[in-house]
Amino acid sequence: MAAVELRGLTKRYGEAAVVDRVSLTIEHGHLVCLLGPSGCGKTTTLRLIAGFVEPSEGEIRVGERLISSPANTVPPERRNMSMIFQSYALWPHMTVAENIVYGLKLRKLDRDTIGKKLDAILATTKLAPLAQRYPGELSGGQQQRVALARALIVEPETLLLDEPLSNLDANLREEMRFEVRRLHDAYRYTTVYVTHDQAEAMTTADLIAVMNAGKIEQAGTPEDIYDRPSSEFVARFIGSSNVIRGVGLAGGRVEFAGVPLRCVGAKVEAGASTPVSIRPHDIAISLRQPGDTDNLVPATVVRQVFLGGSRDYMVESKDGTQLRVVTAAAESIPQGSAVWLGLPPDRCRALTG
Amino acid sequence: MTIALPAQAAERAKFKLDYTVPVLAGFAAVLCVLVVLPVSWLIYYSVTIGDPASNVRVFTLAHFYTLFTDPAFVNPLLTTITVAVSSSVLCCAVAAPMGWLVARTDMPFRRTVRLLVTASFVTPPFLGAVAWEILAAPNSGLLNQLYRFVTGAPQDEHLFNIYSLSGLIFVITCYTFPYVFVLVANALDRIPADMEEASAMLGAGTWRTARRVTIPLALPALLAGILIAFLQAMILFGSPAILALPAGFHTMTTKIWSLFQYPPQPELAAAASLPLLVVTVMLLRAQHTILGRKGYTVLGGKNADPRLIKLGWLAVPAMTFVVAVISLPLFLPYFALFNAAFSPIATTLVTPANATLHNIYFTFVELSSTQLALNNTFILGAASATLGTVLALVIGYATARQAVTGHRVLGFLATAPIAIPGIVLGVGLFLSYTRPPLVLYGTLWVLLIAYVTIELPAAYQQLQSAFRAVNPELEDASRILGATRLQTLRRITAPLLRTNVLATWCFIFVSTIRELSAAIMLFTSETKVVSVLIFDLKESGELGAISVLGLSMLVLTFAVVIGVNRMPGFGGTRLRNT
Repeated sequence: MAAVELRGLTKRYGEAAVVDRVSLTIEHGHLVCLLGPSGCGKTTTLRLIAGFVEPSEGEIRVGERLISSPANTVPPERRNMSMIFQSYALWPHMTVAENIVYGLKLRKLDRDTIGKKLDAILATTKLAPLAQRYPGELSGGQQQRVALARALIVEPETLLLDEPLSNLDANLREEMRFEVRRLHDAYRYTTVYVTHDQAEAMTTADLIAVMNAGKIEQAGTPEDIYDRPSSEFVARFIGSSNVIRGVGLAGGRVEFAGVPLRCVGAKVEAGASTPVSIRPHDIAISLRQPGDTDNLVPATVVRQVFLGGSRDYMVESKDGTQLRVVTAAAESIPQGSAVWLGLPPDRCRALTG
Repeated sequence: MTIALPAQAAERAKFKLDYTVPVLAGFAAVLCVLVVLPVSWLIYYSVTIGDPASNVRVFTLAHFYTLFTDPAFVNPLLTTITVAVSSSVLCCAVAAPMGWLVARTDMPFRRTVRLLVTASFVTPPFLGAVAWEILAAPNSGLLNQLYRFVTGAPQDEHLFNIYSLSGLIFVITCYTFPYVFVLVANALDRIPADMEEASAMLGAGTWRTARRVTIPLALPALLAGILIAFLQAMILFGSPAILALPAGFHTMTTKIWSLFQYPPQPELAAAASLPLLVVTVMLLRAQHTILGRKGYTVLGGKNADPRLIKLGWLAVPAMTFVVAVISLPLFLPYFALFNAAFSPIATTLVTPANATLHNIYFTFVELSSTQLALNNTFILGAASATLGTVLALVIGYATARQAVTGHRVLGFLATAPIAIPGIVLGVGLFLSYTRPPLVLYGTLWVLLIAYVTIELPAAYQQLQSAFRAVNPELEDASRILGATRLQTLRRITAPLLRTNVLATWCFIFVSTIRELSAAIMLFTSETKVVSVLIFDLKESGELGAISVLGLSMLVLTFAVVIGVNRMPGFGGTRLRNT
């Protein structure tokens, strides 16, 4: 019932559109990640959903209820949402328990109910021994859990998370990713999660919306985004990818370094400059020409590095384009060798723009 | 149910209209009245003259012509420049080495020295001037008596004459150098130790590092300090009124004041005020440029402990220097005040035989105006502190949270009074409130307006930086969990800022008690405050009563600060910052 829907959402500061005609539907109980580099507008989008920022154009609906439009914005306190902040925003003058029950007290619940709910959430988040401490006496991971508990205890319709793990050290961050997903599976709140870390997005999200320059470049499942990027930006931002530039040929092929490549993905227009993405580990590399197949590009090995589990090549095609290739560690080809690159047609994705 | 919701929401939104915008517009209007009104009247009066026949004011530049040609104005102008330049140079000569000794060497009692210099801030300059009168008046001054006693010099000879240009410069320097000292010492504190260590790594010795790295880095603060000292010396009223008038010369501030004695010449006073205003604005801009945007920050963590220079045997001359310097604004004057308070004649040394409580009796019982002045001071102090804190709090919130469009204007208006010297504000307020529709002259209200205007900039800066130190996400977190803006202010922001608010309140209260330059222009017999009373008593030569009043002012100050901090619910909270 409570799907969140953004329609043509735009926020301008002066001339600059920080969020530019963003439309997105978030299914009830799903976890959606807004993923993008810093300054792409993802945090502003989140603050628009929370009601801290009023839109310049467009609207936000929860279920059938219109909560944000340029004419009327329901203030944050009446949206039945909760949010976890980058800084955690724990109130230093309240104990852990006081922090957590703050929202319940505002809802005027009776003392017994509050006590029960507090005990339950303290158990779930393993915070029971720390209830009477002040936030300043907790470690980063503990503070993070208090922030989670405080947001979850009010049973929000929608949960918003703003880079919640970015202040944790690397190990803890990895652990907390799964924790976030576990809690989401347990409570099933509709969740919007903002991050710039693709691994975080991959671990936690049902749906990833990649944002760039205020716009959603692509929205899809983690598999969609990774395997079928639709734009150069997405291809480069998610995982590492070679993006080579070719020219469209009639019949849907793309000519690159004199080789007509068969591609999937966007429709290719003849004569148009067309970027094609291919992941480094999808490229086959060999010293001898392998049979009579399509998509074979001659190249030279510029350097190679042994990484233990794999081998990392930099190769250069005839037209000077450099590509990264990752192969099994055993396959060693010396620097300077002439090689054949096999680019599997189903892995070559023609991109728009 | 889902259909009913949007209508309900809209209805509630209308009912719970956001009051922030009209409220803040109201505050902007208040600020305009506080700042723009007096300055406008000032400028208007300085360029017009009343035509007695038609009762219409006509444009004229005659006042400025008089100001820059008549010796009666040119001489005070030159005197003011001489005083300001000399005392700022002296301040620098004294404060820079002291600041360095305290911040960068292993001199003993460094903390105590800092504390004592800061304590000399609390002394109102006019009280210091009176104390120095007791010490160094040519005939009766304690130091001159000592000189004659030691050397056997005849009765009419004297070592010091405080009623002179040099005497005035000396006393002004005594109460201005703490500004330079604090700026320099803080700047030296903030120079990261690694900069000096880098120099040491490259082979420079301790002294060479000090000369080539430390001192140049502290130079901007020193320059800014000199500007502030210049400014203070220029706009001070109390010290020149006490020392220059008996010596028969004027500075600009005393001249402006004398223009309001009979027959009043408000136009000339307005014209004479404008140069002070203009120079102040220019000096503050220069200081801002020199210090850069972060210059004001007195807070701020230290990176590492600075390398302290080992003084060795030099510690002895260093300590002697420091003690000598501190004795001038602090030890000697307070000795003189205590002495005068308990002595039958201010300039006679107290002995167990002649010690008397008569001065105290006279001040609090016989002198009829004391009770009134104390009441007025207390009421005004508390009211200004409360009103000023509230104003500063709201404007600080609006600017730090950028809550409304036009918050920059609010911030500017709140800081602007810093550029209006007290006496100039006094003239402006006199011109604004002696006419309908608001005839406030002669009431406590006009003094309240003056005090709030004068203290607003510092209060605003303190509270605004306090707001900035509170992460806005702390407030957002409360909103999203269901608290309204007001509930959030009450339950989150206010508790977090409690200590700052309290400090600001005390700061305004204390500053109000010691204010003289604006009060002297605005008081009437019914609205006398303690600082004005002291000034009056000086004219009738009641040095003993002045000492008693001055010392009780300080006691009152400390009592208020301690009392407010002990109040249940304030101070001593278990505040822990994440």
